[in-house]
Amino acid sequence: MNRRNFIKNVGCGAMGSTTLLSSLTSLGALNGLTNFNKNAPGEDYKAIVCILFSGGIDSFNMLMPTGTTVNGDNGFSEYLALRTDLAVAQTPSSFLALNNPQCSSFRGQNCAYSAFGVHPQMSGIRDLFNDGKLAFMSNIGTLIEPILTPNEYQNSLKKIPLGIYSHSDQIMQWQTSVPQSRDALGVGGRMADILNANNANNGISMNISLAGKNVFQRGQSVSEYSISDNVDPNNVGLQSFPSWWGNQGLLQEMRTNAIDSLVGQTYSNLLQKTYSATAKESMASFEIFKEALKRVPTISTTFPNTSLAGDLAAITKVMSVRQQLGTKRQIFFVNYGGWDMHDGLLGGLNGKLPVVSQAMKAFYDSTVELGISENVTTFTISDFARTLTSNGNGSDHAWGGNNMIMGGAVNGGRIFGAYPKMDLSSANNRNISYRGNFIPTVSTDEMYAEIALWYGVSPSDLCYVLPNLGNFYSYAANNYPIGFMNFNQSPISTTNHPLGCLNY
Amino acid sequence: MKTLIIFTLVLCCFQSTFSQNTQTFGKGNIKGVTVNASSNASKGIKTLMSTGYIPNPKASSRFLSQATLGPKLSEILSLQNQGIEPWLDEQFAMNPNFNLQNYVQNMHQSMVDSLKLQNPAGNYTLNNVFIDDWAFDVAWFQANMVSMDKLRWRVSLALSQIFVTSRISAFDNNPYALASYYDMLNKNAFGNYRSLIDSVTYHPAMAVYLTYLNNHATDTLAISTTNQTKKKVFPDENYAREIMQLFSIGLFELNNNGTEKKDISGKSIPTYDNDDIGNLAKVFTGLSWSHSRYLGDNNNVNDWSYTKRLKFFPVDSSEKYTRWWANPNTWRIVNGHEPGPKTFLNQTIVARPVADGQLDIRDALDIIFNHPNVGPFMAKRLIQHLVSSNPSSEFIDRIASVFNNNGIGVRGDLKAVVRAILLDPEARDCCAEKENTAYGHLREPFLRYMNLINGMGLTNQSGIYRNVMVDLYDRIEQKPLYSPSVFNFYQPGYVPGGPLQAAGKVGPEFQMLNSLSFSNYMNALHKWIISNDPIEYWSIFNNEFYKSDQEPKFNITADYVLAKDNRIKEFLDKYNLILAQGRIKAENMSIIQNVLLSMPITFDINGVPDPTLADRRLRMGIFLIMIAPDYLINK
Repeated sequence: MNRRNFIKNVGCGAMGSTTLLSSLTSLGALNGLTNFNKNAPGEDYKAIVCILFSGGIDSFNMLMPTGTTVNGDNGFSEYLALRTDLAVAQTPSSFLALNNPQCSSFRGQNCAYSAFGVHPQMSGIRDLFNDGKLAFMSNIGTLIEPILTPNEYQNSLKKIPLGIYSHSDQIMQWQTSVPQSRDALGVGGRMADILNANNANNGISMNISLAGKNVFQRGQSVSEYSISDNVDPNNVGLQSFPSWWGNQGLLQEMRTNAIDSLVGQTYSNLLQKTYSATAKESMASFEIFKEALKRVPTISTTFPNTSLAGDLAAITKVMSVRQQLGTKRQIFFVNYGGWDMHDGLLGGLNGKLPVVSQAMKAFYDSTVELGISENVTTFTISDFARTLTSNGNGSDHAWGGNNMIMGGAVNGGRIFGAYPKMDLSSANNRNISYRGNFIPTVSTDEMYAEIALWYGVSPSDLCYVLPNLGNFYSYAANNYPIGFMNFNQSPISTTNHPLGCLNY
Repeated sequence: MKTLIIFTLVLCCFQSTFSQNTQTFGKGNIKGVTVNASSNASKGIKTLMSTGYIPNPKASSRFLSQATLGPKLSEILSLQNQGIEPWLDEQFAMNPNFNLQNYVQNMHQSMVDSLKLQNPAGNYTLNNVFIDDWAFDVAWFQANMVSMDKLRWRVSLALSQIFVTSRISAFDNNPYALASYYDMLNKNAFGNYRSLIDSVTYHPAMAVYLTYLNNHATDTLAISTTNQTKKKVFPDENYAREIMQLFSIGLFELNNNGTEKKDISGKSIPTYDNDDIGNLAKVFTGLSWSHSRYLGDNNNVNDWSYTKRLKFFPVDSSEKYTRWWANPNTWRIVNGHEPGPKTFLNQTIVARPVADGQLDIRDALDIIFNHPNVGPFMAKRLIQHLVSSNPSSEFIDRIASVFNNNGIGVRGDLKAVVRAILLDPEARDCCAEKENTAYGHLREPFLRYMNLINGMGLTNQSGIYRNVMVDLYDRIEQKPLYSPSVFNFYQPGYVPGGPLQAAGKVGPEFQMLNSLSFSNYMNALHKWIISNDPIEYWSIFNNEFYKSDQEPKFNITADYVLAKDNRIKEFLDKYNLILAQGRIKAENMSIIQNVLLSMPITFDINGVPDPTLADRRLRMGIFLIMIAPDYLINK
């Protein structure tokens, strides 16, 4: 029985908003839920938030080396020489300094520099970093297996991601972490396949999207529920008939039932099946979501008036009614696009990076307000990094780049992975093009594995969530893939699920 | 000589609407093809020999649902008499007769004139009166309300989703850029693919969108005589990549039937690598605005700059203008167009003087045009847009072959390609779905809207419509030239989760379907049908006199008589035919009928249904038809 029918059949079976409301309330009681938005001590709730920067962010203009020591850490000069007219600033003091970022090394690659700063418009990110709530990962990208030298890439001695440098492929592979396949499920979807059973109520998908359909949240048994950033019970599902029609309630119910019946029929055509499945699931979710949203408390954290902040504020609201929704695990997906800056790069970054910085800071603050800052981990992804050299006024498609992980459970204030040397000579074993395209040092698999372990995926289930992970990492107690998560409050799960490993 | 087996089809549902006696010639895969009683026998034979089609009402509606933006009842009936091939001949013979750019400019001029009338002292001109991008949408909608060349507009809509440029860009509020680009697509829709990619390449709306306007040759020389720091600038790779990935050949080598070629280890073979991109990027250097004085000139750009073919600059002489005051000996004059040979797709464009750089562009487009992938690539995309998401490899093979050679030795003849697609047995066969359970495609949201506008026969007295389609876009996230990226509103290889994925099939339009867009669509239908508000009229200047006629509503008074209990079925059958090509199955028709029957209806003393109650019944019926899965999937 699906959730919707369950609700219909609760109590005396009469339909109407009163019945619906009371059945939802009693469901809350069934699940032993009390009050409400504040994290109850020991509450088992975890959420991950994936922020996609679609288009390919020029992340070597987000996190920059600032050293100017000749014959020492001379990162800024090297940056300036390479990026020429794309350099964000002519002096390192223009960047916002990161306190002792402890950039170390990874898989034999040393971090090229020790002093770093972020883009001048990212004070919120700087503050989060310096407060230990945000970490960077450097030179991360899509990989099937480690590629240690340019020769291994150029002579195809190692497997190369399909459609490398193509937006559509790389944006997909960052979401699937299976760069050898064009029809893999998403990482968030596969995690949901594993953990969905933890949620008492499956009426609403544990994967909620602010960006419509996406690959990241697609699992075998779980697909995303898409919402708008206008999180308001009156903005969910079908609107009402005009009041002058009379009998609105009856008409509404008749129409809803008819739509349920139309999409509930059996169809043999696969397109019809696919359409009706989405329609049916959506119809079943609308009322549950609508009712839950009536309990959203006042949130005092101020969010800026931008699309990214609006989406993240909507997530805060949805998380605030997690108990009404009966969910212990949630995965959110947001897209903030417009990064394909082949042209107008510096101005483009000046416009967009403050939006990122302010929105992420406000979102983190709102999780503190809800008392769940240690339960929510946010990370950013993007198609690829961009060429270090200029095409006149912008940069073109490249590969490995930098990203961010944010949350109370993040070992923040550090740069993980290994920031590459701003050098296009053959001495740099990361570079594979005269334009400045770097082989990633850290794989998306390793980042996702660390998040998955924290999120509650058991080590033996990792091979379902990340089919290529074995090429990079195998679990051992206290040996984490990268080290950016703090596991003190999140013991490694020992609950295994019988989904088996995936192979592509 | 084939034996003709003649069945009599009883059209119980339509006798009152159009009483024609029809006969169906049945034979295997052309079941449902009907010949009117008045037709002569030779037409019937032609039908069976697949050389001519005289469709029954459902087949007629179905053809028009693929070849137009949705049929009117009158068009369905008229096609039945005319036959499909004569209709195609007639359509192909029409020249593009609606110029969007002119319409935008006329609208713009009327704004200027009206403002002058209001305030003669004001110095109003086309240059200082702002006209917004929705003027393009008004023009586009007007064109589709009045133009007879329905096929061209269907094909150009498809082309606009393959050769994507979008107002989500630097020209976000310039209706001239959009109109000019769309006029270009209309002009080329039945022309040759080679001309089309030439026109696309030289159009400013593409050059700005994919950032090769003012694209410059490699420059690694010293910044100036006094600053010896070397430049490190390379040609922009954006267009080089996307013209190959999205407009012509795609990422992997294809067989003529659209399947991917495999190497000895069974892997797909990439068509190009990053070196090809770097080289092709060098080709697309030296192009700027038609009015530019030098490569890199962005001065004096106005709305009309976007309507004029790009100009080629072999040399970057910008310092003559930007440092006109300096000693000419210090001017930095460098190549605008990249010199030297350019090798891509295993072919080399020979080195020639930069002054002849446009020949590089010509050669590059020739190389792309002659790549064997283009036929299957374009065949598949056009089939997906017009007919079905998952065409058989045989279907693609047939169409690609027509692309390769139209029968008289011409490659790239889009008219021949479109004709072949629409006449292909797999497109015409109503029952292809029996062999292919993924037959058909999800109607994309904007097409659903145009289906409704046409199907409901929206009309007015003046023949002038003002529909800005702003709220429409907010709701359904689709209208022409408003794609979120060069990857279109949805991608041709998109695989939705569930049964299509399990079967290894694609469902491109499903990329736009989710719980939110589903409820947004239902609420849009509610607005258009239930609230009877299908058109969005905006004033084009302050204090403009409201022309209510330009904002017509759906008028279904003629159908009120069908709101009676005993005639509801006729009503639903009629709109099932018009909107859903008669494909809504009996169970679903009953579900809808039962809702309508349970809605109140009263009659006056003459037995005429109460107009208000009749209206509500009928609108509910149309609303539900457009939510039925057998409407949404056009197959």
